[in-house]
Amino acid sequence: MKRTMLVLSVLLVLSMLLSACGNTATTAPVATTEAAAATEAVVTEAPAATEVMAGDTVLPRNETLYFNGQQWGAVVCWNPYSSNCNNAMAIAQQDNARVTMFETPYIYNMMDGKVYPLLADGPYTWNDAKTELTFKINAAAHWSDGTPVTAEDVAYTWATHVKYNDSTGAANKDYIEDIVAADASTVVIKAKLGEDGKALNPLLVQAYVSSNYVNQKAWTQTLEARANGDAAAFLADTAEDVVYSGPYHKFFADDTKVVLIRDDNYWGADASMWGKLPAPKYLAHIIYKDNAAGTTALQAGEVDVSQQFNSNVQDLWLKDNLPISTYLSEAPYGIGASLPTAFFNMGSYGLDNVVIRKAIAIAVDYDTIIANAMTNQSATFTQVPRSLMNPTPGEQALFDHDAVKDLQWAGNDIEGANAMLDEAGIKDTDGDGWREYNGKKLTYVATCPNGWSDWQAAIEVVAAAGAKIGIDITTNYPEWSVYQTVVTNWPLPETGYDIFMMWSDGAGPTQPWSRIRHLISGEFAKTTNNWNGNWGGYSNPEADALIKAIPTMTDEAALKDAYTKLVKIYLTDVPSFTLMYRPQAFHTVNESVWTNFPHEGDGTDPAVPPLDLTDGYSIAGLYNLTLVNP
Amino acid sequence: MKGYRKYFLNKLVWLFVTAVFAFLLNFILPRLMPGDPVAAITARIAQGMSNSTGMKETYEQYQRSFGLDKPMLTQFALYIKNVFSGNFGTSFSQFPRPVSDILSSSIWWTICLQFPAIIIGWLIGNTLGALAAYLKKGFDKVIMPISIFVSNFPAFGMAVILMVIFGVKLRWFPTSGGYGFDLIPDFSWKFIWSVIVHYQLPFWSIVIIAIGGQAIGMRSMSIYELNADYVKYSRFMGIKDNKIVGYVFRNAMLPQITGLALSIGTMVGGALIAEIVFSYPGLGYTLLNAVMGQDYPLISAVTLIITLMVLIANFAIEMIYGLIDPRIKAAQSD
Repeated sequence: MKRTMLVLSVLLVLSMLLSACGNTATTAPVATTEAAAATEAVVTEAPAATEVMAGDTVLPRNETLYFNGQQWGAVVCWNPYSSNCNNAMAIAQQDNARVTMFETPYIYNMMDGKVYPLLADGPYTWNDAKTELTFKINAAAHWSDGTPVTAEDVAYTWATHVKYNDSTGAANKDYIEDIVAADASTVVIKAKLGEDGKALNPLLVQAYVSSNYVNQKAWTQTLEARANGDAAAFLADTAEDVVYSGPYHKFFADDTKVVLIRDDNYWGADASMWGKLPAPKYLAHIIYKDNAAGTTALQAGEVDVSQQFNSNVQDLWLKDNLPISTYLSEAPYGIGASLPTAFFNMGSYGLDNVVIRKAIAIAVDYDTIIANAMTNQSATFTQVPRSLMNPTPGEQALFDHDAVKDLQWAGNDIEGANAMLDEAGIKDTDGDGWREYNGKKLTYVATCPNGWSDWQAAIEVVAAAGAKIGIDITTNYPEWSVYQTVVTNWPLPETGYDIFMMWSDGAGPTQPWSRIRHLISGEFAKTTNNWNGNWGGYSNPEADALIKAIPTMTDEAALKDAYTKLVKIYLTDVPSFTLMYRPQAFHTVNESVWTNFPHEGDGTDPAVPPLDLTDGYSIAGLYNLTLVNP
Repeated sequence: MKGYRKYFLNKLVWLFVTAVFAFLLNFILPRLMPGDPVAAITARIAQGMSNSTGMKETYEQYQRSFGLDKPMLTQFALYIKNVFSGNFGTSFSQFPRPVSDILSSSIWWTICLQFPAIIIGWLIGNTLGALAAYLKKGFDKVIMPISIFVSNFPAFGMAVILMVIFGVKLRWFPTSGGYGFDLIPDFSWKFIWSVIVHYQLPFWSIVIIAIGGQAIGMRSMSIYELNADYVKYSRFMGIKDNKIVGYVFRNAMLPQITGLALSIGTMVGGALIAEIVFSYPGLGYTLLNAVMGQDYPLISAVTLIITLMVLIANFAIEMIYGLIDPRIKAAQSD
């Protein structure tokens, strides 16, 4: 009897358990309603968007282009004057400005190094003295509210940048005197002049027109009235009511995704511009929490354009047989544009000696870095020998390759490094296996931020090279929050930051000049709050003079000569050394739904760059897309 | 009941004292981390900015607007004042988004994922543990090794295994997100169903691990209680088995209830692993980023909520203890 009771009670408990499990399903809808309530609040903030698409809660797959790798974390605002919106689908004022929602007068194409008109009509012109740059606004261009884009909008945007000292204002006011409207459609940019009456930096003046948005004057005034003259409030405004000129605008954004919807009244459908609307109705970006989740979604066909590092990307089509491809079908799969670089701390013991710097640099096994850290998604230094230029043909043509040939190294030259150190008398005198310099053992810490796995893999290879040439290099990985504070503020600590990684500029209208400036210009050496470069504290007056002169040079031979000299200086003094080439943006596409993405030799003229169809001239790719199954 | 009032007041005073100290630590500890949160914001703004004076101005402007240029004591006074008026300030890492906005949009995901998972895991685990102790033999021999095996699984391991098997290979459940990648939230059945489907893998990845740990604990406690003198005495007295089982479970349950309370108290910290592996929305990942980005206001707000919840949960448990276990009340009110 007792047994029966026991079995019965066990059954009872089990049935209760099952019903409890069942409850999880019923608790979920509660979760839903509450979660939905939370997100609902976000939706209602943009009544205009929801009204347009009321009831349309499923994004049709064949009208939506999905991205990954751009947006990490929730969108904060839609304010084109703010640099803090974390709004990767809509706002990025940079060399290849993102022109999905806001537009620049010109768009840069890194494939040919030229700019093409967007809001502008025809190319810009310099006056003879090269002190004023003039361009016209396309008569067809209009804002989302239907009013025309005018020269006054351009001028007022600039005045606002300066008035509120936002990042664009602060970055350009040393080079641009003023931007004025000569008439309703003509814009004149007046360069800041030096004592000699010449423009201080014409290069940065002309870069302005392809890097910075034009914002509507009327809307800017509305925003100013709302902020009541307070700069902080002006820049912190979420700007849900912003007026824009681009082909897309906000449809939905919450903590899990951001969706832009096409503006079917977009002016660019005019024959003077694209002549049609971009193909996808929606641009959507799911917020993945790490690269692995993004790659899984790409494999599942939930992502069309992937701007993230997909390790061993070739496996996706070679092993998994997925319709996934990259810009180039073979390694390096993309076009290298930036040069992740290891800097020497000139203040560290012995690193002021060029022999030690160069010995370390030539001993590093770059092929291993490229194979391990980049899974071969970088050209090798045998394919593109090191200089200060990225691998694009435009930049490679800017210096005399033969003149610097003897100075270039491909790495893993242990013998050469050892010989160099021996010759300089930097030897192991006490027999402990490590070399001494003036009687003191050479011991360094190589570092990069924790969790930046590709950089960490590269730094490990640098440390391994040290052991092979008798220099003790250990690694250390501080958190980024600490790391950035240290490397951007001179003096660097005595230990812990002897060899450290930072980035360099990618492709853009001011390159390679701007990259070189950031790598070696003395103006940034030994400064605080330094987000520009030359973090190791290198200084060379000859290099500084060349960097100062280049923006005003017009003669191509002289320019090539100057760049060649700079490459020579860089490869001779080795203040830092490039570890790999990295694309401007990773660009991997899944052609399950959309096809006709930019690929090498796709026949587009000018060639559409592999920049995710959002940045600079790559937006042209959105007009070429077609459906796999229409 | 007089004894209970004294016990209650005593606990209340301690709750208050602990809360004051917790408040203080919540403010101070994040600020003791090395590094500079304003530098991170300046870094974002500074991209493309090439003059150093401009950058310094920007840096100082943000330092001023966050009040970080003021002495620590003034900052603390401001913080207290703001918190009591319900203002947790502006997040550094998601500037200019208010902390309250970040919390309100992600806390429900966390609670709805964690609360049912904790409760279900606790219920199943304890029942299995108790049964294993009581039934012994075959049941125990199966349940025990499985529980030990499962409870020792690292959380990310379980999450990845579930994702690979049920998400990638079998394709029964989606691999990421809180709802369909092609949906916009509304009150449609399609959306609700999508949330339920997306809920399963993160939910079970937490529950399965919780079951193992709870079962082991409950089994040990139950075995201990089953051998206690009062059980033997009750048997001699001829008291019915059900009655004895009731006594045993009530006693064995006490430490498990404490564990439950603490789990519920700390759940706002989020199911970090499940959130990352499944890209599930929630506070855990937000908090991790806040810590990485030295987002003082956000860290303080989340830890304050966690602290208060733990304190309240503890307080509630002690109150319940006082009721269900008169020994405790008696001991403490002496």
